Amino acid sequence: MDKQQFFEQIKKSVIEGNKEEAVALAKKATEEKLDLNEVIEKGYVPAIQEVGDLWEKGEYFLPELITSAECMKAAMGILQPELAKANIPTKSCGKVVIGTVEGDIHDIGKNLVASMLGANGFEVVDLGADVKLDQFIKKAQEENADLICLSALLTTTMLGQKKLIEMLKEKNLYGQFKVMVGGAPVNRQWAENIGADGYADNAITAVEEAKKLMGITS
Amino acid sequence: MSTLGRIENFKIEVEERRILRLIGYKKKENEINSTIKNLIISEKKKLASLMKPASIYTILDYEETNKHPVFEKAEKVALCICSIGSGAEQEVSELINRNEILKAMILDALASEAAGEVARQSDRILAQKARELNLWPSKRFSPGYKPWPLKEQQFIFRALPPEEIGVKLNPTSWMMIPCKSTPFRINFYSDKNLSTRKKY
Repeated sequence: MDKQQFFEQIKKSVIEGNKEEAVALAKKATEEKLDLNEVIEKGYVPAIQEVGDLWEKGEYFLPELITSAECMKAAMGILQPELAKANIPTKSCGKVVIGTVEGDIHDIGKNLVASMLGANGFEVVDLGADVKLDQFIKKAQEENADLICLSALLTTTMLGQKKLIEMLKEKNLYGQFKVMVGGAPVNRQWAENIGADGYADNAITAVEEAKKLMGITS
Repeated sequence: MSTLGRIENFKIEVEERRILRLIGYKKKENEINSTIKNLIISEKKKLASLMKPASIYTILDYEETNKHPVFEKAEKVALCICSIGSGAEQEVSELINRNEILKAMILDALASEAAGEVARQSDRILAQKARELNLWPSKRFSPGYKPWPLKEQQFIFRALPPEEIGVKLNPTSWMMIPCKSTPFRINFYSDKNLSTRKKY
């Protein structure tokens, strides 16, 4: 097999949002016993990066990004368990604990962010919606997370973002985890006022912000 | 004296171009790829079988309200809760669990538009009721629009039996379940000059 050609096929499948093909190629990589980290790094990662570039150029829009993220998730669902079975560590941009705060059951925006983070190399622990604040902290500690992402869609529930940061301070955990906030009523000013490390107003900027917080990009 | 009513016969037509905008497209409709267009069409069909649009309303005399300043000078006040039910939200969750995020996003956008349409149609019916009473309706306002705080949703939920259309209120965040629900008020004035509405 010509590896370069194989990586190009992978890139094409993700860029074009062809989930079946992206999955079939991941299966083929495992069957052919290829170096799966190389497959991820030279096939899937450049693909999702190119999708991001197309978005920046205005050629791709959120639906295309989401379709490509679905391809990545589906392919990683094949590759990562194989890597784990072989005790091969996977490269990660960081571990993220994400959820919508207590009292708020809106979760489509949070799901988009989780999906885009996952597609861009973050390990994502999604706690769902209506999550108790102490659950975010407990899970972040258990998972040794790098980043806590809090979504809130109401002016009443955004207060939970402030409260979580206060709780981190009370527990002497402030600074141990980076905190990123988002949601319809939230803006950068609010994020700064409450002491959050990052803010994103959509799933795409969330990836950029998370990478900045992890020191991957500046 | 208050009256209580229910509206159920909605004709919901969601425009595809509005969905394209909601899901983030800035392109012209004819430049959107056919896969996305077909997904919108199929999710639209699915939504039709999942939603149960319904509204419940009451028309109170001013004296029967909690006399919040937003009701000032109103002869009567119509309070309404609209919903499309929880079917679409459940399906969105299931799609997400199956990693069908784009379908979930499209269905959620369609459901939001449908919920908005139920509110618009309910609004028109209630504005008409104001005119039948020889009163002049204001625009529709929901709690959370200044100067009517979100916690005032409690007042609407106490004045109506929202469980009849399957809606409940979280007592701390004032969030409605299902999410695709809208509460609002319309003030009915005897003085046309107090009405903020251009069309009746």
